Amino acid sequence: MSEHHEQSENHEQHGLSYKTYIMTWVWLLVLTALALGLGYTNINEKLKAFLLVCTTLAKILVIAAMFMHLRYERVNLILITLAPLILAIIMFSFTFPETLGTATHVIRVR
Amino acid sequence: MMWIFIVSDALTFAAFLIAYGFMRSISPEWPKQTKVFNMVLITFMTFVLISSSAVMAMAVAAARANRPKLAVQFLALTILGGLGFLGCQAFEWHNLIEEGARLTSNPWGVPQFSASFFVITGFHGFHVLSGVTILAIVAIRAALGKYSADQVENAGLYWHFVDVVWVFVFAFFYLL
Repeated sequence: MSEHHEQSENHEQHGLSYKTYIMTWVWLLVLTALALGLGYTNINEKLKAFLLVCTTLAKILVIAAMFMHLRYERVNLILITLAPLILAIIMFSFTFPETLGTATHVIRVR
Repeated sequence: MMWIFIVSDALTFAAFLIAYGFMRSISPEWPKQTKVFNMVLITFMTFVLISSSAVMAMAVAAARANRPKLAVQFLALTILGGLGFLGCQAFEWHNLIEEGARLTSNPWGVPQFSASFFVITGFHGFHVLSGVTILAIVAIRAALGKYSADQVENAGLYWHFVDVVWVFVFAFFYLL
C-alpha cells in the first residue's frame, strides 16, 4: 500500500501533460518511419540489422521512460527491467556462434 | 507486482525471438517478407498499437488527475485500438492460411518461417486480447465509480508492454 502511495505521489509530482504524450507519440511514429525506411533500403544486411536494433532500442526506451513512467521509478526497478534484455543478449551470444558457417542442418518437418 | 509479471513475460518473448533468430540463421534461405506480407497492413497495425499506447498514457494521466469520465473515454479509445489491431491480425492470418501457410509448412520456403510467424504473432495477439479484456474490466469499473488510479496505471503498464513486444516483432520479424 505504502508503495502505491509513494508511487502516486511520485506521479503527481512529475505528472506529464497530454502535450508531452502527444509529442512522445509523434517521436515514436518518426522512429517507426525510420525503421520502415531501413527495412526497404538495400544496404549491407549486418549494418541494416545494427541500425534496426538501434531504432528498436530507442523506441522501447521512449515507451518505457515516457509512457510507463520508468524514469520516475527507483533505480533498482529500472535495473530489473533490463534483465530480459541482458539475458537475451547472453542467450543470443551462446546460440549465434553455432549458426556461423554453412547452414546445413535445417530440419524439414514435411 | 505488475513489473515482476512484465519482466517474466518479457523473458518468454525474448526466448521466442532468440529461437526465431536461431532458426532463421540456420536456414539456407528465408522468404522475403515484403513478398509474403501486406506491409501496408502491418505498418497500419503498428500505427494503431503505438497510438493506442499514447491514448492509454493519457487515460492514466486522467485517472491520476481524478477525472474518471475522461479516463473512461481514453480507455474506450485504447480498447478500440486493440480491437482494430486484432481485426487486422485476424485478416492477415486468414489471408496467409488461405494462401497455404500452416504451422508445419508454407508455400514460400522453409517451414520454420510460418512456424515462427504463427507462434510469435499468435502469442502476441493473445496478449493483445488479454489486454483488451483487462482494459474493458477497468473501464467498466471506472464507469461504475469503482475507480482506482493504480488499477488504470497497472492496466496501462501491461498495455505498453504489449506495444514494446510489437516494436520488437515489427523490426525483427517483418523488417529485418
